[in-house]
Amino acid sequence: MSTEAIFQAIQNSSIAISLGQAPLVFGILAQLFHIAGLVLVLTSILLVNLRLLGVGLTHFTAPQLASYTKPFVITGLIFLVLSGVFMLAPSAALYAPNPAFWFKMKLFIVALAIQYSLYRKVAAAENPQRWLAIVTAIISLLLWFGVGLAGRAIGFMAA
Amino acid sequence: MSAADVLQTMYDSPLGTSLAESLYVYPLVEGAHLLSLALSFGLIVLTDLRLTGFIFKTLPVHILLHQLRPWLIGGFTITFATGILLTFAAGPGLVEAPVFPLKLLFIFLAGLNALWFELKFGRTASEWGTAAVLPAGAQVAGWISLVSWSLVVILGRLIPYLDSGY
Repeated sequence: MSTEAIFQAIQNSSIAISLGQAPLVFGILAQLFHIAGLVLVLTSILLVNLRLLGVGLTHFTAPQLASYTKPFVITGLIFLVLSGVFMLAPSAALYAPNPAFWFKMKLFIVALAIQYSLYRKVAAAENPQRWLAIVTAIISLLLWFGVGLAGRAIGFMAA
Repeated sequence: MSAADVLQTMYDSPLGTSLAESLYVYPLVEGAHLLSLALSFGLIVLTDLRLTGFIFKTLPVHILLHQLRPWLIGGFTITFATGILLTFAAGPGLVEAPVFPLKLLFIFLAGLNALWFELKFGRTASEWGTAAVLPAGAQVAGWISLVSWSLVVILGRLIPYLDSGY
């Protein structure tokens, strides 16, 4: 089964059809939750990464900031995935041929993988090596802001 | 000269026309407007949550304000500058529904609130900012900021749904 066929099947599923028939206000709410999720994730990650770079909220250590912002990151990711599925499912077949969508998904998977391996390890360390903290922060910031930018590109590619 | 005329003039200017017709610059400006929210909106919300007593209760307010200030100012500079560029590229359709004027109204209110907070509390934050319960006025400023900036973001996202110009 090709990716296009799978995405067409998602779009034709009864769940996707009923989501697509939901009043416009739900579509707008999904957009707003996607932005709320984006701010929760990006601002949290930004705070910790700035700290890894030695700037920003230096009153706290990076492990403290990582731990304080953890609930915001989790909440944000849940908002993003749920609202994302809600927006994608009813018109899944439109996303399948969109290169920006696939680039975003690949970046998202890499960003998540780094988030829960390298980033988690470095941000939790009391005294990480300076160069490692800086490299991790730059990689993390590029990946997560890249996901956002690629996401914004989906609509422009489709137009 | 009506607001629609002003927007038409902006749209017809070399800046407005070239932005609206550009293949890459317009999407990048829009992307920067959205992603800079992580700095501008996200960090102001963080500050508001401290003022209203939800997070970072042990963090002295003057330290929070001082350490985040360059990032907040940088973030708002990007958000505002890209917002002005997007307005140039929007055209008169932007004021056909009240959502954009409402957004501007709440930006104005949030700005007034920030100015009031800065003059009344910001400069003396090192005196009151370590208390467990903050002065009522500072808490109110936090709530006004939280609500008005949230409305600004929500109204901004509604523009393409409610304005015919898009």
